[in-house]
Amino acid sequence: MVTREEHETRQRFRDRYGEDRPDALVQIERAVIGADWGADGYTTRRQADQLADALRLAPSVWLLDIGSGRGWPGLYLAASTGCRVVLSDVPLEGLRAAVARAATDRFAGGAVAAVAASARALPYRAGTFDAVVHADVLC
Amino acid sequence: MLRASRRLLRPGGRTAFFTIHPAPGLSSRRRRRAHRDGPVAVASHLSQRDLLERGGFVDIAETDRTVEFATVARAWIEQRDRHQDQLVEALGEAEFEQRQREARVQLRAIDDGLLRRSLLVAVCPND
Repeated sequence: MVTREEHETRQRFRDRYGEDRPDALVQIERAVIGADWGADGYTTRRQADQLADALRLAPSVWLLDIGSGRGWPGLYLAASTGCRVVLSDVPLEGLRAAVARAATDRFAGGAVAAVAASARALPYRAGTFDAVVHADVLC
Repeated sequence: MLRASRRLLRPGGRTAFFTIHPAPGLSSRRRRRAHRDGPVAVASHLSQRDLLERGGFVDIAETDRTVEFATVARAWIEQRDRHQDQLVEALGEAEFEQRQREARVQLRAIDDGLLRRSLLVAVCPND
């Protein structure tokens, strides 16, 4: 059952992910985290690379990103390692942005899929993934 | 979240994640402030390591990343201030001011030792 606080938070993220990103935010993101993936959190590009190492990502790996937002860091990890990624989150707006980004960048090698679901309701069989990543999501 | 990870990972699969959480050993009052002033995703009372252990994960490694957390939090504030005119035009002054206010409150909570950020890595056991 979703609490009122969770509901309000999800609505806030929906609103934020649905915004058009002004150029200034793109510049700010590049300056702060060293990337341009629609992120506004605390995971830098260097830290994302550390996640890739910790998860031993490679082209044969299936990665699940829980709470993927606009695709950071899941899309970046797929692009940089060739792994296959399933992005998951509740706000559709973020997933739409992530899927559009994946299409624009023409991800080579790896596959990208997106599913709108909370972690509790992900529609996959047990043992589907080789790796799971998340960054500062609702716990 | 961790229960979902445990279920969805194959035996031997790995999870790695960053999490923001109250510093250990806080008084009730300071813990309440950590939850109030931190981002929405401040983690539960139990340590993430405890949660991973309860979830059956093994080879758990935790490293403190609070220094970088503060650096990045400060950088967001400074960069938004630097681009204030453009952001006010795009987001509106009220939205800009609210985001900066929340960010500054959170940074103070980090600097006051209330909030930490950790990187955790763990392995799903081979059944």
